[in-house]
Amino acid sequence: MVQLKNDVIGMTKYAVFLIFFITLVGCSNTLEVTGDFPRPVITTLPLTVGVVYDQQFQTYRYVEQEEERSDWNIGIGKAQMQLFNAVLPAMFDQVIGVEQVSGANENSVDLFFAPSIEEFQFNVPTETKIKMYEVWIKYNMKVHDAQGSLIADWIITAYGKTPSAFMKSDNDALNEAMLIALRDVGAGLSLRFRHVPEINAWLGQRSRSQQAVQP
Amino acid sequence: MNNQQLCIRVIIGCSVLLLTSCTTVSVDQVKHLATNLTSGESVVVIGRRSGRNYETEPELISCIGNSLSKGEAGLNVIPEQQFVDSLYPWFEPRTAPTQLRQLQHLLDFKQVAQIFDDYNVHYIIWVDGNTEKTRSSGSMSCGISATGVACFGFGSWDHSSEYEASVWDYRSHKLIGKVSSVADGTSYMPAVVIPIPLIAPVQAEACKGMASQLKQFFSTSVK
Repeated sequence: MVQLKNDVIGMTKYAVFLIFFITLVGCSNTLEVTGDFPRPVITTLPLTVGVVYDQQFQTYRYVEQEEERSDWNIGIGKAQMQLFNAVLPAMFDQVIGVEQVSGANENSVDLFFAPSIEEFQFNVPTETKIKMYEVWIKYNMKVHDAQGSLIADWIITAYGKTPSAFMKSDNDALNEAMLIALRDVGAGLSLRFRHVPEINAWLGQRSRSQQAVQP
Repeated sequence: MNNQQLCIRVIIGCSVLLLTSCTTVSVDQVKHLATNLTSGESVVVIGRRSGRNYETEPELISCIGNSLSKGEAGLNVIPEQQFVDSLYPWFEPRTAPTQLRQLQHLLDFKQVAQIFDDYNVHYIIWVDGNTEKTRSSGSMSCGISATGVACFGFGSWDHSSEYEASVWDYRSHKLIGKVSSVADGTSYMPAVVIPIPLIAPVQAEACKGMASQLKQFFSTSVK
């Protein structure tokens, strides 16, 4: 009889723990964005660029703060590092990772490039009228010359969306939308870099001074 | 098995057949120019993803691609993702050419033109549209008891598909023609203890209709 009572208490404890665990898991969504990014088909600029990825950029994580929304915890850092490591070597002749923008650079760097995330937003279908997972990432791109002076500072807003589908989980759909958004920033950066007015002017000036040096 | 049981089974069987066949598809095509797809040449089927409130589903694109490549007269179809990745970042949702003159402009870039040549692409089929739920009705309630889970009720919903495929000739830089497909269907879910979904394959029917029309489009040209 005592054995049966102990068994019932044990099973009840187990059931309570299980329900508590399921409740906790059910309320939170953790997503580590993963995917592959192709190398862009573009004309490479004959420049050596020092890239500054600060710690926050490398490990960027979105943690939901709003109480009305599910507890989303989205790791973007690794995926965006993968994207920039695929895009930048196609944009420039040589890309070197550097700790910080420095006037006294020993690597003969022509430009320093420092990307950062300013804002991240997303929607899941339960929050909108459309059956779409949407992601917006606002990037701030800074370019400094070899002496460390700021040349250009501009914003690229990346957007990605993916439709909801039967048997597709929130995590899978949001991961897809994230990859599309990251590809979008890669497209915006690689196609418009030389058209940013300040960079265009700098490239023109550099080209003229190189021509003047040649006999 | 007595007559009554047999009768019930026949009624249930007929009802299931009637319920699952509730999809109507209409396909139209306009052909401006003759196609001339020679052996070894390829086509690529790509979804338009620039719409704000909808997105052409990747599974529809792969369904059309698979249907086109099947059979004796199957075409060489380049998988969408492979093609888009090879030409990154030129065929992304916000950068893909929406007009022929944009494609022409893009092909001035030698690296891009080289990739098209490597794939031996002759036709680009752009598919735009989506499948959406247009109506839902009914109710269902489920309960948990010591003996298990049971549901009772009836639900139904309508889906509508609308797609249009534009066929571009990469070599002549001309619009060859268009194929459109409209499909509607109603799905049902009766539940007596166990819910039985009777899904109308609206998107699959739209894909089938569009693929067979596109195959006809090219059938006269494969040499």
